Amino acid sequence: MDIQFEQVGYTYQPDTPFAFCALKDINLTIKEGSYTAIVGHTGSGKSTLLQHLNALIKPTAGVVKIGDRLITTDTPNKNLKEVRKEVGIVFQFPEAQLFEETIEKDVAFGPKNFGVEGEELKKVVRDSLQMVGLDDSYLERSPFELSGGQMRRVAIAGVLAMKPSVLVLDEPTAGLDPRGRKEMMGMFYDLHKEQGITIVLVTHLMDDVANFADYVIVLEKGQVIKQGLPKQVFTDTQWLTTQQLGVPAATTFAQQLMARGFQFDTIPLTTKELAQEIAKILRKSGEQV
Amino acid sequence: MMDKMIFGRYIPGDSVIHKLDPRVKLLASFYFIGIIFLCNNWQSYTLMFLFTLLALSLSKIKPSFIINGLKPLFWLILFTVVLQILFTRGGEVYFKWGILSVTELGLMNGIFIFCRFVLIILISTLLTLTTPPLSLSDAIEYLLRPLEVVKFPAHEVSLMLSIALRFVPTLMDETEKIMNAQRARGVDFGEGNIMDKMKSIVPLLIPLFVSSFNRAEDLATAMEARGYKGGEGRTKYRVLKWQSRDTLTALVFVVLTVILVYVRN
Repeated sequence: MDIQFEQVGYTYQPDTPFAFCALKDINLTIKEGSYTAIVGHTGSGKSTLLQHLNALIKPTAGVVKIGDRLITTDTPNKNLKEVRKEVGIVFQFPEAQLFEETIEKDVAFGPKNFGVEGEELKKVVRDSLQMVGLDDSYLERSPFELSGGQMRRVAIAGVLAMKPSVLVLDEPTAGLDPRGRKEMMGMFYDLHKEQGITIVLVTHLMDDVANFADYVIVLEKGQVIKQGLPKQVFTDTQWLTTQQLGVPAATTFAQQLMARGFQFDTIPLTTKELAQEIAKILRKSGEQV
Repeated sequence: MMDKMIFGRYIPGDSVIHKLDPRVKLLASFYFIGIIFLCNNWQSYTLMFLFTLLALSLSKIKPSFIINGLKPLFWLILFTVVLQILFTRGGEVYFKWGILSVTELGLMNGIFIFCRFVLIILISTLLTLTTPPLSLSDAIEYLLRPLEVVKFPAHEVSLMLSIALRFVPTLMDETEKIMNAQRARGVDFGEGNIMDKMKSIVPLLIPLFVSSFNRAEDLATAMEARGYKGGEGRTKYRVLKWQSRDTLTALVFVVLTVILVYVRN
């Protein structure tokens, strides 16, 4: 299911002194089965854009196409459930959305709203909890007695349990420890690879973008200022620095090597690529000697 | 959801009204609301309206915006006015049907109630539109301080007030966020019958309460860590200053009262 933005604009509180234009003339496509990363400053409109992906807010200008559904300014609030089932959003600090007495009930809440019942519901809950690394012993516990990181997992399981075909992640690892971060990102990547789930990731961590994403959209002041493959976006490091966006650690390191005379065929984005490039260069220089 | 509601919000500005001391504005608003009840004929209401319009125009806030802000209260006003008109008896009878009647006195009362409503709403809207919430709570603290003689916890009340005011927008944001998160999980807020609607509030209320508790705990810890021990012996960062324009405002109100007493029956 593709998601397409055509000249989408969004203004908060229009016609008041508080009116604020968060998005202007956005044109982009999130392809089915892709792993798209959206980067940009705080306040560049990323979160506003996210909420358009499942019609939580409707554009004040332009059209959002979610699969076959057209969402415009006049789209009524009825019958948007199918859209929300297809596009699951994990918001920033999703642990704030937990409310049921037991973890089982909380994870089941989403699928239940979409009409999943009985044995299927139980299975879905167990499977999703397992995916986020929590075993069945957690089922009967209260979500409020868990640690912050575990609450995050339960909340994410609650979204995964809806079996969305598009998964939107708004800084899913903010405030997690390095290990938790790695596990979580790995889990999302596996979902993407194995089940073909489309993933939209909003993040400030360029390393995550380099490691996982196959498409990058750069937002600034509510406008798309660049989009393309990670290679294309990260090639112009100077431009990224003027936009005050980082570059992946591997790329920074590669640049420092380049300043000392190394020549790379392609700019490496990940540690793996960097290692391969260096190995290549070493091999070459070995042959020359 | 609250986009249309301007009652109780602050719009930054640089007008004469904005610059007045919050104590004056607060007292003057209460005073104004008090003397509205002295009005008893059309001359006195005209006087009050003129005064309010003058104050509104001095604030340099777009009139269309203020009118839009009144709209949500329209039904409440209409309801009260219609009740007044239909159920008050006296004077010439224009129309009668069962216990309902439209009489001269009823019409008069209806119009007066309408005027009072609009005036009170306008003046209190003007107060909140031109005064930052924190200044307002400073003013309240100042005005409550005399009550400390009778053991009234003025400092604590004003501290709670300023914390509450500070967290209103934060909690609104939080509400919006949790609502969105639950909508993304398939909750339809405000749909179905009344039971459905009430049930759909639970996934919103519980997280809100929980996060308020957490927030309160964090805030208390942070305050203690920064050496807060209660109101005694604290100095003030924002000091309210009484200026000549404040004295002038007070004088204007004295003049207004004199004229009002003169024009009323």
